[in-house]
Amino acid sequence: MTRPLLSDVFIEMADTLVDDFDLIDFLHTLTERCVQLLEVDTAGLLLTDAEGVLQVVAASSERTRLLELFQVQAAEGPCLDCFRTGTAVSVDDLSRAGRWPRFTEAAASAGFASVHALPMRLRTDVIGALNLFGVAPGALDSERLRVGQALADIATVGLMQQRAIRRRDVLSEQLQAALNSRVLIEQAKGLLAERLQVNVGEAFTILRSSARTRNRRLSDLARALVEGTERLPRPGPDTRTI
Amino acid sequence: MVASADRRMRLWNLVVERAHGVPATAGHVGAVVLTVAGVDAVAVTLVLADSPRENVYASGRLAADLEELTTTLGEGPGVDALAGWPALGADLTDLYCRARWPVFAPAAVAQDVRAAFALPLQVGSIRLGVMDLYRSRAGVLDRDQLADSLLLADTACALLLDETNHGEGRRPEGASLQHPEVHQATGMLVIQAGVSAAVALVRLRAYAYAHDRRLRDVAADVVARRLRFHRDPEEG
Repeated sequence: MTRPLLSDVFIEMADTLVDDFDLIDFLHTLTERCVQLLEVDTAGLLLTDAEGVLQVVAASSERTRLLELFQVQAAEGPCLDCFRTGTAVSVDDLSRAGRWPRFTEAAASAGFASVHALPMRLRTDVIGALNLFGVAPGALDSERLRVGQALADIATVGLMQQRAIRRRDVLSEQLQAALNSRVLIEQAKGLLAERLQVNVGEAFTILRSSARTRNRRLSDLARALVEGTERLPRPGPDTRTI
Repeated sequence: MVASADRRMRLWNLVVERAHGVPATAGHVGAVVLTVAGVDAVAVTLVLADSPRENVYASGRLAADLEELTTTLGEGPGVDALAGWPALGADLTDLYCRARWPVFAPAAVAQDVRAAFALPLQVGSIRLGVMDLYRSRAGVLDRDQLADSLLLADTACALLLDETNHGEGRRPEGASLQHPEVHQATGMLVIQAGVSAAVALVRLRAYAYAHDRRLRDVAADVVARRLRFHRDPEEG
């Protein structure tokens, strides 16, 4: 993967935020750019629900193992600590950190050795965290930490962008909307996985590229598929729909 | 995480208490919301596809009147929440709420209601209805009130889905994002069993009850293709 220019990424993000945009797709793109720009192996974005539990809404890879790791993160780990304290938590080598035994084991079995968590802050609130994983031990230098924090801030701006958030109740609406979109997308992933006999990670890739091709929001297309009001053309020469 | 489990247990105990020995319903949940959210009226209204809004619980006259108002006007938080996320009107006299609900807001204020909050009873694409909260005092729901109310809305969804399952007073497992495999399995069942997403989730839950297993574990088996559901000729 070639490393994109920092300026190009920020221009891409800024361009997206101007129009009526697809939040979940935007957050997915952001996690992919994190991987490319920060030279980490995987990135994920977690938002808090009303109970204060972290939920993954976007990740640079939809591998099941990885999503399971994020679930563990909701209970213990650097991401939770970052969320609770509102400050970045950087673990260069998990095996030597000697903390978070459950998380360390889950991370190791998913193939990760280092992890960095950056807070998503909105004034006095912490609304989530950006999670960066590396397969090898290693620090994020101060420059990459700064860029990572800027990307986490852009994710916050994206979340707040769809409506002007000056009020706490609107923030709550927006967070719940993002989480609900994600539930819809999970249902559509299952549906496509069964129709196409692929795994749910591949189903997500198909769903996302279909939404992009049709210029549709991921959550709108997901809803149409699950409600049966819309079908996708089968890839390749087969003209039947899926 | 632990705090969240404690919260669930505390709220479920309140629902069971309210049910006085009969199987808990969405109405009992509504009555608990009235006490924990610090509001003056609560209503639970079903909004199923192709059917008119059906009010199944109203805490009193005020709640019933406001539900009727929402149905008549086709406007208000209880309509907006059908989009799938909460519609929170902390002060119905402010510019923001008046612009959002130009007819509903003044009509509610005329009935001495200053704040209205609607929570979706919805699981992804599965729309069941809304839970509406009304208060005579303006102001947001605080963090705990909102968290309790959202969790209780989740419980109400589970009870509505389980109405035919005879859960026998078991605490229903909610449908959070914490276990995405539940939603993935729902989507897979839509195809396997040839049913709507709502029926798919009901069947998944019924299977978990019947086999005394956790919903998330049954769902994980479906996603891993260790368990398949089939078309049921008796399925309506």
